[in-house]
Amino acid sequence: MTAPVQIKNLFKTYTRRRWLGKNWEKPVLKDISLTLEENHVLGLVGESGCGKSTLCKVLLGIEKPTAGQVWADGKEVAVLSKSEFKKLRRVMQVVYQDPYSSLDPRMTVRQILSEPLDIHGLKKNPQERNTFLKELLASVGLSDSLLGRYPHEFSGGQRQRICIARALALNPKILVADEPVSALDVSVQAQILNLLKEIKKERHLSMIFVTHDFAVARFLCDDIAVMYQGRIVERAPAEELFENPQHPYTKALLAAVPSVCAPQTEEAVVSQEWPERKDWACPFAARCPYAQEKCAQKPFELNEIFPRHACACGVRPFATEKKSA
Amino acid sequence: MMINNRIVKRIYTNKTSLLGLLLVAFFLLVALFAPVLAPVENPNNPYQLPQKSYQIAPQPPSAQNWFGTTEQQYDLYYGVVWGTRLAFKIGLTVTFFAFLIGLFVGGVAAYFGGKIDEVLMRLTDIVFAVPSLVLAMVIAAMLGPDIKNMMIALTAVAWPSYARLVRGDILSVKQRDYVTAARTLGARGPRILLRHILPNAIYPSVVVASLDIGYVVLTAASLSFLGLGAQPGTADWGQLIAMARNWVLGTPGHPFAYWYTVVAPGGAIFMFVLGWNLLGDAFRDILDPRQA
Repeated sequence: MTAPVQIKNLFKTYTRRRWLGKNWEKPVLKDISLTLEENHVLGLVGESGCGKSTLCKVLLGIEKPTAGQVWADGKEVAVLSKSEFKKLRRVMQVVYQDPYSSLDPRMTVRQILSEPLDIHGLKKNPQERNTFLKELLASVGLSDSLLGRYPHEFSGGQRQRICIARALALNPKILVADEPVSALDVSVQAQILNLLKEIKKERHLSMIFVTHDFAVARFLCDDIAVMYQGRIVERAPAEELFENPQHPYTKALLAAVPSVCAPQTEEAVVSQEWPERKDWACPFAARCPYAQEKCAQKPFELNEIFPRHACACGVRPFATEKKSA
Repeated sequence: MMINNRIVKRIYTNKTSLLGLLLVAFFLLVALFAPVLAPVENPNNPYQLPQKSYQIAPQPPSAQNWFGTTEQQYDLYYGVVWGTRLAFKIGLTVTFFAFLIGLFVGGVAAYFGGKIDEVLMRLTDIVFAVPSLVLAMVIAAMLGPDIKNMMIALTAVAWPSYARLVRGDILSVKQRDYVTAARTLGARGPRILLRHILPNAIYPSVVVASLDIGYVVLTAASLSFLGLGAQPGTADWGQLIAMARNWVLGTPGHPFAYWYTVVAPGGAIFMFVLGWNLLGDAFRDILDPRQA
């Protein structure tokens, strides 16, 4: 059995051709390898600009990888023919971050939800379609009386439900959620997360869930990959990652999660001052309080240090903590 | 059905839009029933003004000539009525073709991008760089004074604003998430262009077009006034005002002696442009989906 999504040594560099002078180049993804397992939710966590969304775009085939391979549902995304690609659409769908810009303002909910069916020529019988659309709306917790409304008549949370319904219309096996709750109020976030969890269970979905919020990731994800500047710095099952973070960056992110219950005891782990040194090989070293001489020699590879737990840090300042704990 | 209700409701609730609609509707009726309102005397060319005599001085309104006559006894009433039809013809034709050219050029520039975009947009910049009335005058003068040539000249200066507008709107709509979402649903180029990009990118241009109809007629009148459009004796508002040129100052001691030579055609132009402006504002509100 093949994994729903498999990514191997993926590189992505944005290039802009210039009339004069050198081409502008920006490497965004560097040597990414990931596997999404069947019925799992894989969380991609990292700060803004670390390449999470680009990874989604490459996975969805909107951007072409510069090097490396991406398989979705056992097919390599970048080399698919147009008709094969269209078939893949029915297997893999996406929910975007901004529910305000991801719905066409001139279409009613009925038109929005009908579009995927029209494109793929499904449920052509008007009655059958009507029942299907009503069920679809009900499955995301919306009343079927809303079919004739326009997107601007809805709140952010309701819009995101419509986006989820649109993604589910094709009954996909894989759902890519690109920060689906980060544009929503916290109380609405919880509702949408519950909905996603429920849908995942009911429909046996495998999900890639992008977020910058560890609290959100913890609620939903089975596995988590932490990204920093286009690299995966740590990858582990969710509980393992929260209990035993190995990379200083993961540790710093976890310490930054605000908690109402527990008073913040640990001091901020990311150093505020940038050391004078500029020639670090490890991308995080410049902000890392544990940086050593060897961090300047060559970048660390992502190595499995415990079963299913990989980390790209050669210093590993917390390696001993587990034993003592 | 729903959109019709919305338009009706919108226009009725806003007094200025209602005024615009009434003005344009009034002119439309005048244009449609021109043969009834002012029977044609020369069937070969209904736009030819009937000439009562060859007396030079204009005559004030009378039972035969309701709006009076202008220089050389051309009937002003006939001129204003048939001028309405000509105004619609000029305004709609010029705006339609300018819109079409602009849509095509802007669409191609936005769709293909790169060097094609660069060349087309610099071309529109060149047209923009010259004041539009001056450019229209030059083109009209080169082609010779004729209504058709005047319309070509007006179209030639009107399309760049649409090209620019359409291009910018397409580029901005192309970036929106719902376009990407449609692509991830499996939609191909034509569907995305026709169902998502154009409907969302075209409306600002439609609004500008409705505002432009009045403006085009105004510019056409300026060209006719300058002798670069309709020929003397044509039922054209600008031409009627041009024929009043020698009489607007009246006679010594009586500055308003020949007031009727400009009031009727000038008033018609004013109301026509006002009507389209108000209606254009109403369109802008209606076509915005957020204004339900």
